Amino acid sequence: MIRKTRTFSLLTVAALVAFVAVACGSSPTPSGGSSSKGTITVAGFDFAESSILAQMYGQALEHNGYTVNYKLRLGKREVVAPAIKSGQIDLYPGYAATDLEYYNSGAGEASGDVAATAQKLNARLNPLGLEALTPSGAVDQNAFAVTKATQQKYNLTKLSDLASIGDQLVLGGPPECASRPFCQPGLEKTYGIHFKSFKSLDTDGALTRAALANNTIQVGLVFSSDSDLNKLGLVVLQDDKHLENADNVVPIIRQKAATADVKAILDKVDSNLTTAQLITLNGQVELNHQDPDAVARAFLQQHNYFS
Amino acid sequence: MSIAASVWAWFADGSHWQGADGIPTRLTEHLQLSAESLAIGAAIALPLGIALGHYGRFGTLAINISNIGRAVPSFGILVIAFQAFGLGDLPIVIALTALAIPPMVTNSYVALREVDPDIKDAARGMGYRDLAQLIRVELPLAVPLIMAGIRTSAVQVVATATLAALIAGGGFGRYIIDGFATLDYPRVISGALLVALLALATEIVLSACERLLVPKGIRLEMAPKLGRATTFKVA
Repeated sequence: MIRKTRTFSLLTVAALVAFVAVACGSSPTPSGGSSSKGTITVAGFDFAESSILAQMYGQALEHNGYTVNYKLRLGKREVVAPAIKSGQIDLYPGYAATDLEYYNSGAGEASGDVAATAQKLNARLNPLGLEALTPSGAVDQNAFAVTKATQQKYNLTKLSDLASIGDQLVLGGPPECASRPFCQPGLEKTYGIHFKSFKSLDTDGALTRAALANNTIQVGLVFSSDSDLNKLGLVVLQDDKHLENADNVVPIIRQKAATADVKAILDKVDSNLTTAQLITLNGQVELNHQDPDAVARAFLQQHNYFS
Repeated sequence: MSIAASVWAWFADGSHWQGADGIPTRLTEHLQLSAESLAIGAAIALPLGIALGHYGRFGTLAINISNIGRAVPSFGILVIAFQAFGLGDLPIVIALTALAIPPMVTNSYVALREVDPDIKDAARGMGYRDLAQLIRVELPLAVPLIMAGIRTSAVQVVATATLAALIAGGGFGRYIIDGFATLDYPRVISGALLVALLALATEIVLSACERLLVPKGIRLEMAPKLGRATTFKVA
């Protein structure tokens, strides 16, 4: 009996050790092995697209001999930005206009012009020891979706149609939407839409979709690069007064990590990225439930990055 | 401004005491979720525990089964119930009810088992039928331990109802989740304080109820036994 117990506890310990080892060793090992060119920590926001983009940058860097640590789904910009300022992370896939308005505390400098927006973003980032690289052609903006039923009931096509009926509708989005210039305050200022109330849900995730489906909210914050809206019977309202700006995907990196080599690697990844590509990639994760790292790898392979 | 001062300022702000996100509204939501779950849990757990304790059968089995509710994390139940029933109060009520049941089953079973066999014999000798013996002799004697079970469940449920905010529900958890999303730490801390205060208040109010319910004659005699048969579960 004693012997049996001992075998059992040994097995338990072995299982625990294995579990801990697996849990701790989950970050992928660099392909470059011993001859690493340096370590770069890549972070992403808490939605699928950001994980895909972070994996693309990370895998491209790994392929070129860097050691990469991943901090995926780290959190919102309010978590990620302080982390890069303090040097806990080195790189994240940003969005030009939203990042600019974050770093300038909502001064309203962003516009529809990508180049100008990126230039102003760099003016804010450089004093912090940060840098925005060349923006990619892929755009992912905040968008506001309604169900087909709501659309037909009020005959909606564009956001300005909401101005007269906003007080009958509930807006849903992540908690920070209530204070972000491109979310509720922007809708009030640019379009004069005063919603009946705001419901805290999540960032373009399962809660927002469930709340739209059961009519808890009538207008929900989604992303323009979402792949599943059509399938769920959701319609994006046209941003006819251009509240949303040039939210092109752009790598934001610490200047210390931004060597010419690193910049060239990241620019090459971005040069292949388009909005249509982004929607397809998001669909592979959101609709087909593939892992972001596999999707990112397939994208890089498809563009002959590894050959 | 120090953290204590900023939390104080948060509570002093009149706008935090009115409207859909005001403390009175959130308190009502929190209490409603907790009360619903506790009532449903009691309706299931108390008759079960009392019957098993009275007849003295299948007690271990019932306690072990209801203890599974203690082992399964409330957050896990919440997420699964959200997948099954969608947005609304139902998923959180299911998760909280599962949390509320075990202490009440265990305590009421133990309470009925602990009734002195000599007293039961005496009751039978005086001509009490089974049901009359249960209602008029055993239950009054078992009240202190049964109430202790309800108290344990209630405090756990009030503390755990905070999770409702994770699936877009109401209650004080809203302040913690929304405050964290906007890095508004005074709001986060105030939310946590409110939950802690409400749990304490629950404990105090239920202790007072317990004192009122226990028959006068037993109060003194049972005093040393007033402990809990189960311990708290940390959510």
